[in-house]
Amino acid sequence: MLTLLLHTTMRFTLLLCAALFLPLAYAQSTSYEILTNAYRALKAGAYEDALAGFDKTLAESPNRADVHKDAAYTCLKIGQNRAARGHFRAAMLLDATDLPAALEYAFLSFEATDDPLTAKAEARRVFDRVRRQTSNLPAAATAEKAFHNIDSPLETGIARWSAALQAAAPTFSVHYELAQLAEQRDEWNLAAEHYLAAWQLEPKRKAVLVDIGRVERLRSHPEQATAALLAASRGGEPRTADKARELLPSRYPYVYEFRNALKLDPYNTELHRELAYLLLRMELKADAEIEFAHIVVSDRADLLSAAQLGFLLLSRGDRVRALPLLERVLKGGDEPLANRVRTALNLPHPLSASETKVATDTDPRVMYERSYRAGYLKDALRYLTIAQEANPTDYSLMLKLGWTYNLLHDDRTALDWFRRARASSDSGVSQEAKTAFNNLRPEFARVRTTAWLLPFYSTRWHDAFSYGQVKTELRVDRLPIRPYLSVRFIGDTRQNTPGPNPQSLSESSFLLAVGFSARSHGVTAWGEAGSAVSYKTRHALPDYRGGLSWSHGWGRLMGAEAPGIFGETNADEVFLSRFGNDWLSYSQSRAGWTQHGVQFFWNANLTVDSKRQPWANFVETGPGIRFRIPGAPQGLMLSVNGLRGAYLLNRYNPQHPNFFDVRAGFWYAFTH
Amino acid sequence: MRLLISFFVFTLALPAQQFGYAVLSRTPGPWNEILSSVGLLPTPADQAAIVVARPGTPESSEWRTRIEAGAILILEGDSPLALSFGFHTLDRITKLASLIDTHQPDIPLILQQPLEITEMSVPANARIFTRERWTQVPVSAGFRQGKGAVLWIAASPGAHGYERFPFIPVALLDLGFAPPFHGNRLWAFFDYAYRARVDVNWFAKRWHASGIAALQVAAWHFYEPNAERDVYLKALIEACHREGVLVYAWLELPHVSEQFWADHPAWREKTALLQDAQLDWRKLMNLADPDCANAVSTGVGKLAQRFDWDGLNFAELYYESLEGASNPARFTPMNSTVRRQFQAQPNGFDPMELWSTRKDAASLRRFLDFRAGMARDLQHEWLAKAESYRAFKPDLDIVLTHVDDRLDTGMRDAIGADTSHLLPLLDRHKFTLLVEDPATVWDQGPARYPLIASKYPKASDLAIDINIVERYQDVYPTKQQTGLELFGLVHLASQSFPRVALYIENALSPADLPLLSASASDFRSATSDNRKISVSSPSGGGVTWLGPALVDGVEWPVQESGVVWLPAGPHAISPAPRQHNFKLLSLTGDLTLAKYKDAAIEFSVNNAARSIARFNQPLFAVQVDGAPFPHTPNSQTLLLPKGPHSVIAWPQLDESGTAHARDSR
Repeated sequence: MLTLLLHTTMRFTLLLCAALFLPLAYAQSTSYEILTNAYRALKAGAYEDALAGFDKTLAESPNRADVHKDAAYTCLKIGQNRAARGHFRAAMLLDATDLPAALEYAFLSFEATDDPLTAKAEARRVFDRVRRQTSNLPAAATAEKAFHNIDSPLETGIARWSAALQAAAPTFSVHYELAQLAEQRDEWNLAAEHYLAAWQLEPKRKAVLVDIGRVERLRSHPEQATAALLAASRGGEPRTADKARELLPSRYPYVYEFRNALKLDPYNTELHRELAYLLLRMELKADAEIEFAHIVVSDRADLLSAAQLGFLLLSRGDRVRALPLLERVLKGGDEPLANRVRTALNLPHPLSASETKVATDTDPRVMYERSYRAGYLKDALRYLTIAQEANPTDYSLMLKLGWTYNLLHDDRTALDWFRRARASSDSGVSQEAKTAFNNLRPEFARVRTTAWLLPFYSTRWHDAFSYGQVKTELRVDRLPIRPYLSVRFIGDTRQNTPGPNPQSLSESSFLLAVGFSARSHGVTAWGEAGSAVSYKTRHALPDYRGGLSWSHGWGRLMGAEAPGIFGETNADEVFLSRFGNDWLSYSQSRAGWTQHGVQFFWNANLTVDSKRQPWANFVETGPGIRFRIPGAPQGLMLSVNGLRGAYLLNRYNPQHPNFFDVRAGFWYAFTH
Repeated sequence: MRLLISFFVFTLALPAQQFGYAVLSRTPGPWNEILSSVGLLPTPADQAAIVVARPGTPESSEWRTRIEAGAILILEGDSPLALSFGFHTLDRITKLASLIDTHQPDIPLILQQPLEITEMSVPANARIFTRERWTQVPVSAGFRQGKGAVLWIAASPGAHGYERFPFIPVALLDLGFAPPFHGNRLWAFFDYAYRARVDVNWFAKRWHASGIAALQVAAWHFYEPNAERDVYLKALIEACHREGVLVYAWLELPHVSEQFWADHPAWREKTALLQDAQLDWRKLMNLADPDCANAVSTGVGKLAQRFDWDGLNFAELYYESLEGASNPARFTPMNSTVRRQFQAQPNGFDPMELWSTRKDAASLRRFLDFRAGMARDLQHEWLAKAESYRAFKPDLDIVLTHVDDRLDTGMRDAIGADTSHLLPLLDRHKFTLLVEDPATVWDQGPARYPLIASKYPKASDLAIDINIVERYQDVYPTKQQTGLELFGLVHLASQSFPRVALYIENALSPADLPLLSASASDFRSATSDNRKISVSSPSGGGVTWLGPALVDGVEWPVQESGVVWLPAGPHAISPAPRQHNFKLLSLTGDLTLAKYKDAAIEFSVNNAARSIARFNQPLFAVQVDGAPFPHTPNSQTLLLPKGPHSVIAWPQLDESGTAHARDSR
């Protein structure tokens, strides 16, 4: 038994070992094969194939100095000296005793054309190290000779350019050449001195700041290095800024670093501006003002800073100093910025530059306007598209494209143009685009949640009612229906009528349901199945409801900018299982006048049902008012209606045949 | 617009013309410059091989069929069409300031005007070519689909076409694009210092494939005999000749050589600070000193004799520097000979006084005029010397590389270069004037080349030099020309000058080389009719063509690696019924006629230097202008004398007496 156990254990161990080591052995054999093929390719002069093999091997075994060297020599064959240098460097670092690799690296660094200054300095350092430290005489002799071949011209050059500085007036090129030679010779103090002198002679050459930053880092002056690099990274040439960004720490600079940079480069407007905004974010408004003041004095063309300083002064009531600055902005020609100033000063906005631009008859903008006004929307779209192609960055055209597609019922494309127009620097255009985008977006959102609430008080019933629903629906591409989950609330405060035969005035329930809706030609069909849970009794009843809904509006609807008449009508056909599977039909219409967010109107409503219940068959009419409260959410509207009504079936009607009803309440809805 | 697009995609059955591109917009933007820079020609959209869809292009499912059949669709920015291929907009704005392209990942592409774009996601099967450097957001990507491909870029390429995505044509190459036209008239400068350890055979093949017809080799490294270097140079020249590349000795007098500078300190040139004139890498000698001039003349003569050069190129034979008299530390010549000569002039003075006691404009003017005259005399003298070398090298071509002073008129005063004095020499000496545009205009776009060409009267003897270097100006997106900027420069220069030289060969990015020959092509029109292509080029060139070809109805022998090489003028190419084994692979110089004559090939060529004809088989016999012409046994290369010649070449016979059947290519 024990033998069998040992035998089994041994077999299992062997299998395990095989399972563990076979892949390793296979991997090794594959690597060997790759390397063998690489050497075969090298021998055949297929250098690129050989390099691909070496690269694969090094990806798996990056510490193989021998493969690095062979890759380097192969690179040299096809002139890839930069890659060769990288391989020799890796070989040198992996094996510090490999003097040929070190010497090859140094020679290639000396010849390098990418970042030659740093590379030549590196070459000199390596030759110096090898000649001083090695006991290998031939290598030391090679390094000694190479070192002097580099060092002597540098020494001579430094002497020559130093003499040139003594002999003639200092020029940028003399200081700069001297600094470069000094940097290559690791004379960092001398290099820093002359880079700085060159920079001071030609402060527009921001690239010199990167040189200063590099040398300051070499001589372990991190604060000076950061100051120079920060100054180089803001304003000036984009390439210099990119180069400086490579050398700067990845974190955002501190305020003192901005201040150090400004000591070096005091006229750097971008630097002042960025510091000013940083100070603003830190709530250091007084310090920010000083920075903006620097800019507006040194650069009168910087309207942004003038505007910002003007706003700061205005906000603390210093109109005397603010107004000249803001006037400068108004006259400056930057219309979007000027419009922001006009908003702050409550001045009217003029037409935008694109709208006032002199246009010819063949100008697609003119043709667009004409077509649009004449109602030829497809032509308008064509001309607008041409205009936009010619002016791809004109956001006002993007906005117009959005509206035109919207009118042509292509809301998906309209949404895309509104999305783009949001990026406009003109706050008017961007705000309008944002509003339009936000209005349209829910229609195309995959998941849309709508909530509405309608609480009101009715004098007819002496009761306050509340209806509400939260509905989350899912839009599935190409599916004509939208499934949804819904929670409805229906309740009142009084709950029952007084008297011997009390009557419920509402369902007093939360209705949890799953449903669907579909929309076609303006008609919405919906249906849902769920449970009505009474909040009074906690009893749950099955609830099925559904119907058709249609609404339409004309004229100046709520939210219109200009006053005018309007009309609205809603028609609903609703099935309710709760009321004995009754069908109710509602028609509610109103017409009136809209002005500044207030609507005055006359109501005309009709309700009938299939079960011919007295309470569900009536007409009513009367005046009403609906309005928004300034500052309240966009979806909130208050309304008061005075209605005179008449029941259409009075045979078993416990109520009087006619009634007056004053209803006051609000409507609040939002979609997300 | 939608109707227009539908029409374009409707005609799918028509064969795509590989030389054609179309832009689906009334405003093509920079796409003409981009696509024509690699030789493509505009063509109706329904026939184009490459179609550009600008932002907002509507979707059409028919594009997929067309791409499957071989078309390449370029999508610019955001459009319903881009969306249909999986390029979705994301609700994020990103700033593009610096880009990294896979074709040259070591060099960031810096945008002069940073750009804000809406971020877009790319389909999973797309290869991303370019990303924003700091955010890694993809901004150019593409994928192959069937026989065609889709390339997307996130924004407009910029006004000139190369500001943001300079490697668009290289990405197209990755996606299967094959350039339709090729040029083979480029020259390239070559410096041994950067290529000392390369495999010259490998490079010679690559130069030939890139359309380089002649190498201008920095000869100062070989001025003094040196066993190791001489072996290298001889191997280089042999490899080049084998691959059909001519080799010229490029001289940078008054720099002679490192050794010459070290050996003759007394003959060194001086600056206006009276320092030795070692300016950058050049160590200038005083050629006004008769002893120095004689020594250099003898040395150059020996150099010309020691190697099998095809020509001599005297470059930048004037003074320093671009800063002119404003920088005395770099101002030459200020050696004692010149100073004495100027003092000996009527009302002469020591020119050193210009920086001390004579700072008036009139005095400076007199000296600068005297200096320009000296430069002119120096050029006369050296042209005459070069012509004297033809006594022992009768086929030697002579080139004078001279900075242009027509565009930047300050060159005469800055360095003494005066083209107006030089141009009459073209009538008296047989040489090519290689015009170098001055560093001061290197930041200007390719359009400068037609402008420069228009300022020179005798265009046939001219060549233009494009400096592929890190420019001192603040230029974007790269300091050194690469990708589209390079292709644009080469293309417009090739259309404006008979020869285009590139300085310097080792500066050319490996990513650019596969399209260099395409950008050097100069085909002005092309149409296809059934299986026939009609093309026209003022200078000739290559047309991509697979299989045997008839040119103007005649069986055509000049063909290599799927490219048919044509003489100047209009020609029609159509399929040939049979394949000949013997082919003329390439020819330096102007091909004027070619045909099969029984087993032989007969052709005519004209060149200012020797011509190299390369065949796919060893030659049996050669006749030039009706007389037998010696050739190296078993060689497939023939070096022909300069000038116009009519040549008949027979392939080697095998044992049965028939022409060699082996196709070595």
